[in-house]
Amino acid sequence: MASNALLRLQGVVKTFGTFTALHGVDLDINEGEFFTIVGPSGSGKSTMIRLLVGMDEITDGAIWLRGERIDETPANLRPTCMVFQSLALFPHMSVGQNIEFPLKLRNVAPAARKARALELLDLLHLPRNYYDKRISQCSGGERQRVALARALAFDPEILFFDEPLSALDYRLRKTLEKELKDLHHRTGKTFVYITHSLEEAMVMSDRIAIMKAGRFEQIAVADDIYSRPVSRFVAEFMGEVNLFEVTGGAGTLTGAGLSVGPEARQTELADGEEGLLMVRPEYVQFGDADSHFDYAISGRLLEEYALGSRIQYEVETTDGQIITVEKLREDRASVRLGSDVTLGFDAANTHLIAER
Amino acid sequence: MPASALTRAVLLIYGLLVIALLYLPLVSVGFASVSKARYLSFPIKRYSYKWYGEVLESGTVRDLLLTSLSVAAIVTILSVVIAFFGALAFARYDWSYRSTFQKLILLPIFFPQTVLGLALLMWFNALGVIPSWKTAVVAHLVWIAPIATLIVAIRAYSFDPALEEAARDMGANTVTILREITLPLLMPGLVSAGLFAFLLSWGNFPLSLFTTGADSTLPEWLYAKMVSGYSPLVPTLGILSVVGSILLILTAFAFGWLIRTIRDSRAAQH
Amino acid sequence: MQKLNNKLGYLSSLPMLAIFAMAFFAPLIVVALFSIMPPKVFSLSNAPDFSAYAVFFQQGYYKSLLWSLGMALASTLVLLVVCWPLAFGMAKVFKGFTLVLTIAVVMSLFVSENIRLFGWVLTLMKGGLIEGHIRAWTGNGFDSPLYGVPIIISGLVYVYLPFMLFPLAQGISMVPDDARQAAADLGATRWQIFTQIDIPLAAPGIVVGCLLSFVLAAGAVAEAKILGGQAVITIADDIETAFTFGQDWPLGSALSVILIVIIGSLALFGVSRVDLDKIMGRKR
Repeated sequence: MASNALLRLQGVVKTFGTFTALHGVDLDINEGEFFTIVGPSGSGKSTMIRLLVGMDEITDGAIWLRGERIDETPANLRPTCMVFQSLALFPHMSVGQNIEFPLKLRNVAPAARKARALELLDLLHLPRNYYDKRISQCSGGERQRVALARALAFDPEILFFDEPLSALDYRLRKTLEKELKDLHHRTGKTFVYITHSLEEAMVMSDRIAIMKAGRFEQIAVADDIYSRPVSRFVAEFMGEVNLFEVTGGAGTLTGAGLSVGPEARQTELADGEEGLLMVRPEYVQFGDADSHFDYAISGRLLEEYALGSRIQYEVETTDGQIITVEKLREDRASVRLGSDVTLGFDAANTHLIAER
Repeated sequence: MPASALTRAVLLIYGLLVIALLYLPLVSVGFASVSKARYLSFPIKRYSYKWYGEVLESGTVRDLLLTSLSVAAIVTILSVVIAFFGALAFARYDWSYRSTFQKLILLPIFFPQTVLGLALLMWFNALGVIPSWKTAVVAHLVWIAPIATLIVAIRAYSFDPALEEAARDMGANTVTILREITLPLLMPGLVSAGLFAFLLSWGNFPLSLFTTGADSTLPEWLYAKMVSGYSPLVPTLGILSVVGSILLILTAFAFGWLIRTIRDSRAAQH
Repeated sequence: MQKLNNKLGYLSSLPMLAIFAMAFFAPLIVVALFSIMPPKVFSLSNAPDFSAYAVFFQQGYYKSLLWSLGMALASTLVLLVVCWPLAFGMAKVFKGFTLVLTIAVVMSLFVSENIRLFGWVLTLMKGGLIEGHIRAWTGNGFDSPLYGVPIIISGLVYVYLPFMLFPLAQGISMVPDDARQAAADLGATRWQIFTQIDIPLAAPGIVVGCLLSFVLAAGAVAEAKILGGQAVITIADDIETAFTFGQDWPLGSALSVILIVIIGSLALFGVSRVDLDKIMGRKR
């Protein structure tokens, strides 16, 4: 199997009894990349990582690592390593013993093991005297770092992460997301990360795969996932979004309540073809009778929410559709609740999804 | 809802009362063992430790202790080994007949021990095995190994299966995982299972009665003496046996405490 | 992984299964076979007959069985009432005292049942710990409560208390505090909380506790012998006598089979109804 990809999945199927968790999945992961698989619970992402690590066996298809088939290889013989959701730090061993565990399995001499463990403590910004600490004496963030150090001691071809940050509080999670990204740069390793939070994925990843019901919905760089989703599912998965049901015709679009300006040309939808016009809330502007927009729609301001640095508005159109608008706090609109407003946005900030 | 102070006090007193009642008979036995008179009657008029001297010098008693000790020691070792693997099958590994196995394990615990002892006696007879303290070991195992398994299983339930998966992911094979991860994590459970196994075997009467043949364990001898007429040696030996058990438990606790202290102080040094 | 789990599961159950096959199922088969042998034979090489079962009805052994079951039922009910408050305390009220109580109750288990029952005789007999001291202080003694059905039931309650207490405490600890608080908040009285929240949620523990104490009490011998002075003969006592003094193995076997069938079906019925993983706290 000649392939440039470090890890390649081809038609991977996994069934549990009558339930099919993965329906023939294809995937290429490149060397040195930070690849994240995102999906809601039950989408098959946990199944996916257990197959990749070798803790479950695939039902059909093939997995290649550097052109060698590994799907028959048990977990303990695969050159990959995972950071568990629970971290799975051994409670009966010290921090140092935990980090050295994979080296001990390879019969590395004690002095060399200790030297490597101390190096890794440095790499993860843990004090060297943590070497003799018990796991129970470490804080949540410290445990994360110990788990990372242990996985790095294994020196895997690919480092897998199974939602290791999900149990932490918001601030610590944000710090560790950045540290993880930084660690990825410094080690040059291939990271494959699983999470249900697209926000987490956006911060860290080079590429993101969105999973839904045992299939990949979209695999793309973070920017594309955000601005050019292929489906309603992907668009709605990444936070707030406004979707207008539109129909193509004569190089332009028609949609209920939507006034389309003369400059808003489009060629993606053929005549009579139905689609969704997407615009993120931060691109929607408040206007008045004099404003000129490619797309405009009118409605009534229902509610205003303060989201820290931003303000979110809910506007109900005459057709009953709710439109979300977000402004930075400094750009706060001076519109009273319950009053009629005109909203507009430019064609450059929209994206067409060819499905309803 | 937090219980009121009154509820708490009433329940606490009730609990103390239950403990007192549990141990009241042993108090009587204790007094009886230091009564000087050959025929016991309360209140005790003259106290004496002479029965303890007699017990300790008696050759019969030495034989009884040796038999009881041999049975209990072997039962303990075998039970712990069986329970280690049994608990993994009971609690850890997801295999097809796990739930059947779990229910099977409970059966001997529910079983009337007298009947089990007699059934074993007939079975040994059918096999042509002459009952001795060795057959008693087998009988004790049927009842004690399942109990030991349950004790280890409780421990096995409490640790995260991901620990074993993580070790495997880092390259450990099944034997290494058992040695490096599973065994150390189950150790507290194994120690308590061993303690239970020893003490339950030490105090067991109904199974021993029919399966020891010509040999006799301590509880058997005590029962025979009780039934055939009062002997001051009965309470004395009974109390000695109880004290021995308590000492064993205290030693186990002290040992556990010592290990923890050493471990903590070693961690604190750095 | 599933294959590996299966393999390891089978392998690790083997030592236990070996003991079971050798020393549990084989003897039971022998008992079953002996029960259909003619009276007073000591080998299985005889033509089967069911005379031993007929004796059970003809010679009044069924009375012993009824006594055993009746006393077991009575002691189970008493135990349920006696243990509930204590189990509730252990699961919900006590903190450090739960450990003290647990250790105290478990330690008592390690003392041979005989010695503890013998201790009760010394405590309750005429001239025993209680009566002797009362007579010495007041000059008036009282009749010993020993040698009767109530004292046998008390003995069963005493001996099998741990087997009710611990499952019950485990069951009650499975009742979430917030469910009780929510019920109280919604206006439930103590009694309503007890019947609507505690009992249904603690049911697995109640089932296991009742089952254990009933089954163990039904097969008990020593309480009736030592405390009861054989005022009543229990079925297990009959079995023992048939084997020892009676030298009638087929009769003893037939009585055993009857007891085993009753106890076994109860036990199987009970354990098939509880989820052991849940009671013992499996993580996943």
